[in-house]
Amino acid sequence: MSFFEQYGTFAILVVLGCLLYALIMVVSRVMRPSVPSPQKLTTYECGVPAEGTGWTQVNIRYYVFAFLFVIFDVEAIFLFPWAVIVGGLDATTPVSPMFAVVAMFLFIGTLLEGLAYAWKKGVLRWD
Amino acid sequence: MPIDFIAIMPEIVLTVTALLVLAADLALRGDAKQLVNPLATFGTLIAIGFTVFLWGDERTTFGTMFVVDAYAVVFKLVFLVALLAILGISWRFFAEGRYFQGEYYFLLLTSFIGMVLMPSARDLLLLFVALETVSIPAFVMAGLRKRDLYSSEAALKFFIIGVLSVALMLFGMSMVYGFTGTTDLVGIAEAIRAGDADVPLLLGSVMLVIVGFGFKVSAVPFHFWAPDTYAGSPMPVAAMLAVASKAAGFAGLIAIAFVAFEPLAEVWAPVLGVIAILTMTLGNLIALQQRDLIRLLAYSSVAQAGYMLVPFGLARSGSDAIAVNDAAVQAVLFYLAAYAVMNIGAFGVAIAVNRRTGLRSIADYAGLSARSPLLALALTVFLLSLGGAPPTVGLWAKFAILEAITVDVTAFGVVLGSFVVINSVIAFFYYLKVVKTLWMDEAREGLPTLQPGFNLSAVVVVLMVGTVVLGVLPGLITDFTSITSVLATG
Repeated sequence: MSFFEQYGTFAILVVLGCLLYALIMVVSRVMRPSVPSPQKLTTYECGVPAEGTGWTQVNIRYYVFAFLFVIFDVEAIFLFPWAVIVGGLDATTPVSPMFAVVAMFLFIGTLLEGLAYAWKKGVLRWD
Repeated sequence: MPIDFIAIMPEIVLTVTALLVLAADLALRGDAKQLVNPLATFGTLIAIGFTVFLWGDERTTFGTMFVVDAYAVVFKLVFLVALLAILGISWRFFAEGRYFQGEYYFLLLTSFIGMVLMPSARDLLLLFVALETVSIPAFVMAGLRKRDLYSSEAALKFFIIGVLSVALMLFGMSMVYGFTGTTDLVGIAEAIRAGDADVPLLLGSVMLVIVGFGFKVSAVPFHFWAPDTYAGSPMPVAAMLAVASKAAGFAGLIAIAFVAFEPLAEVWAPVLGVIAILTMTLGNLIALQQRDLIRLLAYSSVAQAGYMLVPFGLARSGSDAIAVNDAAVQAVLFYLAAYAVMNIGAFGVAIAVNRRTGLRSIADYAGLSARSPLLALALTVFLLSLGGAPPTVGLWAKFAILEAITVDVTAFGVVLGSFVVINSVIAFFYYLKVVKTLWMDEAREGLPTLQPGFNLSAVVVVLMVGTVVLGVLPGLITDFTSITSVLATG
């Protein structure tokens, strides 16, 4: 029964949400002045007149850089918890400090090879 | 909880080899880049050595996630020997084509790391990671000929279908975890057996997972990506996708179906049985129409997946069904080993004939017997074996499936068996049509001489001899497959 009570709370929330949205829209529609002009239909681009179409090409090199960034971002995510606990390791813990250090350097080494590959293939050069 | 490094040695060796191959590709220039192939072959041989060393052991590590037993070792050996053969047929193809050699071998090895992980995985998460390690390098490999539109199409189709299937599978897996509270395959089986997950939606999630694997093994109606992808990819990659990647899908499906969802066998077995019937019948009927040898092999591989799905249709739950289930898993395993030998061989001959000329229509194989009797003989043996003619290993592979049906005869089993027999007859028509073209039709004028190269010839000859020898002495494989049991761990 408590299962359905939880869904009841959720249903009330949904109904209230819809009502609130409708209320705000109606109040806004009633109160605001209506002065349409063609200017108001243009794309808003920080106040500068918009140029060109919405379809633009982005340089493919951004993609490569983003890719490399994600790889090393993930490395940082793994490094952080490792760095937090590695100081507390000693001979009594299930994992020895040496094991932890070697394991992390193997991981970093693997990623470094990827970086070396990218470097050698010239993806890091901008021109 | 120490890690059992001996148990994961084959994977470690392959990983180190892959990293060395990538480093060697950066260090070497020009023609010296060809050296990455022997390097990869050497690493594979060491991995095979470690795998053989593991034979007869029962090892469990990473909790209960990673299991090495007879079943896993046989599967790993199938994968590693397939890798060896694919390395052999790849050498000249990539060395001459000026493709990205270092990248290709690196991606190939990475993909095989996932495959050797697969039969050992006893956890949904590890299965998923292994499957992705197989697929993601394969997406890139399919598109290696990046200036060729067909190759790009192949890669894109494969990628989109691959991502879709994985999304379905993950959704199913997440619901299974939600209902049973564990990702451990044995734990899932226990939870289902205890009735902890007695909800109708569980069946839906089981079906989602099975559909995901259905895409991987290209079962009808999830097969439509396979012919385009095989035809567009570089040919060694097509061989790898048709054999190794499919075998990896079966390894995962066996683990999911026979370990985790074993208590629900009454639900999924009929579904997979019907899919098996559809897959072999449709695959064979469409293969009849093909004029391109690679597309013919692609549809034939769809049909072969159908044969391999037949034993899944026999599965039943409960402790009195262990004999049936064991026989079913062993039949699939034996069929996969046989299929790897004959199908890689057939692709090898296709590479030998097409590498220089780019011709691949079956008509271009006319008179191959005059141009190269060895290649023609080899292709004949492989095609007859795919059809299931004596004295080739293909006969025993089909026999193993029919034998699994006889363990405990049911009406559905008899229907499945008769479909296997009917489809074998249909398949013979198109295999024999190619054989007739090879030996009876006249060759066109002005075709260049064939220069398959030493490695490719050696691989084709070894596989041809293997097809016949295993056809005479199937015990060389069945002695090992017949004592494997995936259920023993459950």
